[in-house]
Amino acid sequence: MPIIEIQNVSKIYNTRVIPVQALKDIDLSIEQGEFSAVVGPSGSGKTTLLNIIGGLDAATQGTVILSGNNITTMNEGALIDFRLHHIGFVFQAYNLIPVLTALENVEFILFLQKLNKKERTDRAMELLKRVGLQDRADRKPAELSGGQQQRVAVARALASHPDFILADEPTANLDSHTAESLLDLMEDLNKEYGMTFLFSTHDPRVIHRAYRVITLEDGMIASGKNS
Amino acid sequence: MMMLIFAWKNIWRNKKRSFIILAATAIGLAAGIFSVGLMTGMYDSMVDSAINRGLGNIQLHTTAYKRDQLIRQYLPNIDSVVQVIKKYPDVKSYTTHSIIEGMASSATIASGVSIVAIDPELEKSVTAVSKSIVEGTYLEKPNSIIIGKKLADKLKIKLRSRVVLSFAGMDGNIIYAAFRVAGIFKTDASLFDGMNVFILQNDLSTLLGTQAPIHEIILRTHNSLLLEQTKNELQHQLPSSILVESWRDISPDMKLTADITDLTNMIFLGMILFALLFGLTNTLMMSVLDRVRDFGVLLAVGMYRRRLFSMIILESLFLSFTGGIVGVLIGWGLVQYFKTQGIDLSVVSKGLSAYGIPSMLYPYIRSNVYGELTVMMIATSIIAAMYPAIKAVRLKPVDAIRTIA
Repeated sequence: MPIIEIQNVSKIYNTRVIPVQALKDIDLSIEQGEFSAVVGPSGSGKTTLLNIIGGLDAATQGTVILSGNNITTMNEGALIDFRLHHIGFVFQAYNLIPVLTALENVEFILFLQKLNKKERTDRAMELLKRVGLQDRADRKPAELSGGQQQRVAVARALASHPDFILADEPTANLDSHTAESLLDLMEDLNKEYGMTFLFSTHDPRVIHRAYRVITLEDGMIASGKNS
Repeated sequence: MMMLIFAWKNIWRNKKRSFIILAATAIGLAAGIFSVGLMTGMYDSMVDSAINRGLGNIQLHTTAYKRDQLIRQYLPNIDSVVQVIKKYPDVKSYTTHSIIEGMASSATIASGVSIVAIDPELEKSVTAVSKSIVEGTYLEKPNSIIIGKKLADKLKIKLRSRVVLSFAGMDGNIIYAAFRVAGIFKTDASLFDGMNVFILQNDLSTLLGTQAPIHEIILRTHNSLLLEQTKNELQHQLPSSILVESWRDISPDMKLTADITDLTNMIFLGMILFALLFGLTNTLMMSVLDRVRDFGVLLAVGMYRRRLFSMIILESLFLSFTGGIVGVLIGWGLVQYFKTQGIDLSVVSKGLSAYGIPSMLYPYIRSNVYGELTVMMIATSIIAAMYPAIKAVRLKPVDAIRTIA
């Protein structure tokens, strides 16, 4: 059973003057353990597709089934709960909470999952160690480099034991060396834990690493529809 | 716990902005508490002064005397009444008064006065007349009189001057009697000083040819909280022809002043908090607008909107209580300092004296004010946080994440 299954998904943004169709009748399946990238020019619908898969935006029509759950019929509370337990997010601008330390940023997800203090700290430290930042656990984001912040973001995304991680342009703000290092980490996590990654990107370094490249053009899948 | 830490850290995200609202809260509340302390202190001084002048805590009269104030309407069986009074442990002391309306005349001027015949020893334990003597001595020798400074000035008399009192006796005939001024008193109430003269009950007995009629018994009690209970129990023990009243019954204007003072204090503090509410809302609103992207991330990764709402309410509570606690401590410190040092208002003593207010003011804060203030601050914090919190929870994560910080 695919971990992500999209059937006949369309998205129309109702601007006041002219409705804009961002996605047209998308059908897509992502299997457990895939390391895939959605690529395409600006405005092709990459981010919209990731937002709909992440339950952050609603499809105008169609069905989104994640880990066997149809999220298009979920109410907001159920959707928040689903995101908390099943999806990990990595954002382009890292988006760590600036007042929290690296450890607390990772711990916060576990706090939302109602784990006790010891469980939270142990798990968060384990993840920071995994991303090579155990000695930066007490640093705030402003005290970390861009690459280090994105590693903390990866640790945060992994914290809740998600079914898959959605990464929206994760290397866009990183230099070449740091981007390669981050991609190494993600690839290792994919291999070690079978963690499914779905990227939205224009970055050739990511495209080069991806096992499957899904190309969007004008809101439709031009290639890479099948695994 | 983590939520508390998170909310606490959030308020220090922009230190300058938080310090400004904290300082405004602290200064506003310190000033408010000190002002409330002044108002309460002024009112309490006024009440204490009136009680010490002769109002006492509880007074006993016949119901007829309360209505007509005639010399014949005295308290019957005074010894048995006194025996009943003495049984009550809350009664600290008592004094008896014979009160007759009459005229006091000097060589040139006459003035209407209340002639109060007292037992000087009993009087010392109840009123502060003996301590208010500014010239001469207290009542010691027969045929001596003590009068208020204002009356002395009006009658143009000095110590050892002769004053003639005239009043209607028990049979209605006018009695004239000459007294020598032994002392001149000055209290906090110029009206009292201009209206009252004190003589010995023994002298009045001699003039009337009978035991001086006791029109009034004044009691001092130990515990003001038991005042109504003591009053009611005494009333129950004594004949119905004797009316037992607390100072609040006798002086409803003072009770009204107390109620108005309390209400004014709360309105005053409420107005300060109302003004702070807008500052707090503004600070929280700016803080929310600064963190739109963070809120988007929190909502995206699985934070419930109600939890986000609570977090902003918590931030508001932290902000207002941090400033509030500092403000209350400063205000409390000021009140404690001036409670012992006093504030000298002698430059306006003439005006204060007309209202029976002492010229030395000792601020005081009742403990219930802190409780009421806490409730008001909680309400202010929650109201102030409402709009920013609603703004935050209405964010769509997909849009909020893309906001440029």
